[in-house]
Amino acid sequence: MPSTDIKQQAAKIAVSGAATTAVCGAEAKPAIIATRKRCEAEGVGLSHYVLMDRKAVR
Amino acid sequence: MSGVVSTARAPSAGRYANLGCGASLIPFDIGHADYVALSDPASAFWALVRKDKLADTLTDSALMAGYRAKADDFARELHALRFELKPSAVYVNPTERCNLNCTYCYIPEGMRRSGQHMSTDRLVEALGRLKSYFSTVMPEGRKPRVIFHGAEPLMNQAALFSAIDTFKDEYVFGVQTNATLLDEEAIEFLSARNVSIGLSLDGPLAETTDATRLTFGGKSVHDKVLRAMESLRGYSAWSVIATCTEKNLDQLVPLVDLFHAHEVPTCMLNAVRCTLPGARTVRPDDEALAHAFIAALERTHALYRETGRKMVVANFANILLAILAPTARRLMCDISPCGGGRAFFALAPDGGLFPCSEFIGLDAFRGGNLFTDRIEDVLESEAFRTVTGRDVDRIDPCKGCAIRHFCGSPCPAEAHEMNGGMDRVGAFCGFYEEQTRYAFRLIADGKANDFLWDGWDAEDGGVETSFDFVLP
Repeated sequence: MPSTDIKQQAAKIAVSGAATTAVCGAEAKPAIIATRKRCEAEGVGLSHYVLMDRKAVR
Repeated sequence: MSGVVSTARAPSAGRYANLGCGASLIPFDIGHADYVALSDPASAFWALVRKDKLADTLTDSALMAGYRAKADDFARELHALRFELKPSAVYVNPTERCNLNCTYCYIPEGMRRSGQHMSTDRLVEALGRLKSYFSTVMPEGRKPRVIFHGAEPLMNQAALFSAIDTFKDEYVFGVQTNATLLDEEAIEFLSARNVSIGLSLDGPLAETTDATRLTFGGKSVHDKVLRAMESLRGYSAWSVIATCTEKNLDQLVPLVDLFHAHEVPTCMLNAVRCTLPGARTVRPDDEALAHAFIAALERTHALYRETGRKMVVANFANILLAILAPTARRLMCDISPCGGGRAFFALAPDGGLFPCSEFIGLDAFRGGNLFTDRIEDVLESEAFRTVTGRDVDRIDPCKGCAIRHFCGSPCPAEAHEMNGGMDRVGAFCGFYEEQTRYAFRLIADGKANDFLWDGWDAEDGGVETSFDFVLP
């Protein structure tokens, strides 16, 4: 279902070993939000076609 | 690699943002009440910072320490994505012909009216040659993709279907079609083989679609496309592309309603590609396009909240992915260099190899022939290197832009043909600015996942978190 609001985001905890971890209060908007994920690059779509499902190539 | 935070290259501790070896963090307005963004374009690192905390963040913050520890990894990741990929897909045009005469097509009209088909034997031989090539560059366990494209690929249906059956275990197949020839039999054949099917429709009503998509004889195809969409309802691997022009901007919201009502899993709302002069006659204004596009995105979100059923707008989702997980991009237009000639290439019916379908009408970009040349040599040809060498870090004004690696200044074909050269900015710069700012607003408000495919970041799908920083 749709995510509700910033509070869910704020409740996240940093998992990167290098990043400082902080838990947010339930009410305040977090002072800083910075996230990044990674995976094997498989993008081959272009504006004339969209790759529907990354798993389809496996 | 420029911009990598490193204390080894200069007598600077890299302690201070924007000084010496410190991170180069550019602040920019995202149009949010509470947040501004910071970006280090060299690594595509970003942070959203509450406006009252900007000074603290830039002077002495845990964020800076965290980023310093990761900056080299992020820069290497971005460099690999931009310069080290090998092709894993080919866009195959099995015919030059099309039964439509769309205003904005990038295939010249002469080809579409009376061009050649590829024979079945020739198409099978082509896929065999491509298979040999891909076996040398594809990772173990991954299949290359063949996307049949056009012109209209189903005008050469017999050859197409024969090739799919011959190589059903060797490739993952897709077909992009105008849907006018996509009858029940064709849908049954393609869906039984898990072929991804893309259609095109530009408006919720015939009068809108007809403004840009008609037969050579001037007949409407709107209802035929709707019938194909009805037949595809329930199939998981189909999508619809709408090309956004000045003719349909005011219809994007009802168009999204129509797509959602037909249970379209994924759509694209693409700004018209202005490579050929015909397309430029319906080019929308950047600001008007951004306004209509964001209204359509907001409508998809409202529909999601009302029904619980998501319809992803893939070209926008790709901007979000470029921000949240650069390597998870699915489309390779909005990255620089783009995917043309390096992540994929295109095959014309005469065996001609081009960096991308967008170049098939431009003979200067023919890099060689599949039947007479080695693909490895074609990839290194001047024609291909002209495209793969287009680097947003060397384009004005992009090279100073904080979001240049979320946008990529697409597309090389447009830059070359419309704006005068590969070193020129792409089309729709203002549109990309607004898309990116909107994407950051969604991230700030915790709504980004509502616009992305379910499970896009699942760990069992090979996605892992490399940085996650939320400071109260």
